[in-house]
Amino acid sequence: MFYVATASVLLALILLVSRAIAGPTLFDRVLAANSIGTLAVLFLAALGFLTGRPQWLDVGLTYGLLNLIGTFAVLKFFRHGDLAYDAEDEGD
Amino acid sequence: MSTAVDILSWVLIVPGGFFILTGAVGVVRLPDVYTRMHATSVIDTVGALLLVSGLALQAPSLLVVFKLIVILALLFFTGPVATHAIAQAALEAGVEPQLDEDRRDRIVLAGERNDIQKKQQNPDATGGVQ
Amino acid sequence: MNVQGTGGGIPVEGAAYAGPVLDGVPVEQVLMMVLLTLLAGVTIAIVRQRKMFGVVMLAGVYSFLMASVMMVLDAVDVAMTEASVGAGISTVILLATLHLTKSVEYRQVRPVMVPLFVSLIVAAALIWGTISLPPFGIMEAPVHLHTTPTYLAAAREHMIPPNVVTAVLADYRGYDTLGETTVIFTAGIGVLMLLKGRRRRMLGQLEKIDADDAGGRV
Repeated sequence: MFYVATASVLLALILLVSRAIAGPTLFDRVLAANSIGTLAVLFLAALGFLTGRPQWLDVGLTYGLLNLIGTFAVLKFFRHGDLAYDAEDEGD
Repeated sequence: MSTAVDILSWVLIVPGGFFILTGAVGVVRLPDVYTRMHATSVIDTVGALLLVSGLALQAPSLLVVFKLIVILALLFFTGPVATHAIAQAALEAGVEPQLDEDRRDRIVLAGERNDIQKKQQNPDATGGVQ
Repeated sequence: MNVQGTGGGIPVEGAAYAGPVLDGVPVEQVLMMVLLTLLAGVTIAIVRQRKMFGVVMLAGVYSFLMASVMMVLDAVDVAMTEASVGAGISTVILLATLHLTKSVEYRQVRPVMVPLFVSLIVAAALIWGTISLPPFGIMEAPVHLHTTPTYLAAAREHMIPPNVVTAVLADYRGYDTLGETTVIFTAGIGVLMLLKGRRRRMLGQLEKIDADDAGGRV
């Protein structure tokens, strides 16, 4: 059954990578990269159970957090052009 | 007992994999950024829930179950937040949602169809609903 | 289903480490083939991509795929480093670099045949070099015959760290660990410096407060 889980997550990864390559706008790619990150966590969980090493879940946790931070960094930068932008300093 | 747990795991993992595949196919096939977000939210919520629950039933120890629950909570919290941020950023950047054209002037009710056919055959007659 | 093969244990003498074989399907080889194909596809897409933001996103995808390749090869610490540095920090630093440059790549006016030729020569040299390596994980590899028993014997003799893995990481390969720690620490400092852009704005606000106090005549 872990074989089924890993295979389905791998197929979903292939499809999402194709969308990340082919997406016409930037936001298609950001969306696909965010979902690839989520699927990365699920892939690590399924692969860990498949090879009998559930310790890989820790790497999955790390990747889940960093995926969120990376998505927010790209969006913030694309909107404001500056990673140190602070909304309180504007409009004074 | 273990076969019951195995059957329950199968029942959880196979639909989980199916929903993940559905979400991925949706991302590839749907026409617009905003509609693709619906597909990725399927992966984040239903797919992750079923898959992780199915894996948690097969976990060798309670610590692994706890880690899987933490991973699930992380995905539940960060998935919708990221989708919302992407949608708002896309709207601010001016990505237009792809709307279908207004088809109201092309919808023909059943009663009007006969009138239109009659008018086409006989352009001078003015009967029925305009 | 039955798991044959080594499954992460001690390699069988003379046989290459093929990973678990589930019902006749070599899991590790299938995974590696799929992941490496995806890597090649993403690399080609990066080269052909003209918009820089797309390149940044695809670089994030590339480093996730690289991290999972390292996971399949049983190097979990390197995979965690690659995931954290490649996915989080490297994306942020590339974005900050984009702030200073244009967002669309210039079209090349010089011919690309010379760089392509050089790349092909280097790739051929690397492939020729890796072909002569022993198969992955067999017991007769030099690393298993010469260095590993030395480490095991020396660690058992000294017995200061609690286990052999810590002894290898911290004592016998200490410079390697020092390099990795330096990389992660430098990346963290870089990101902190990027996020600390407030000083100019703070000074601007102080000047504005002075102007308000003096009635606008500063």
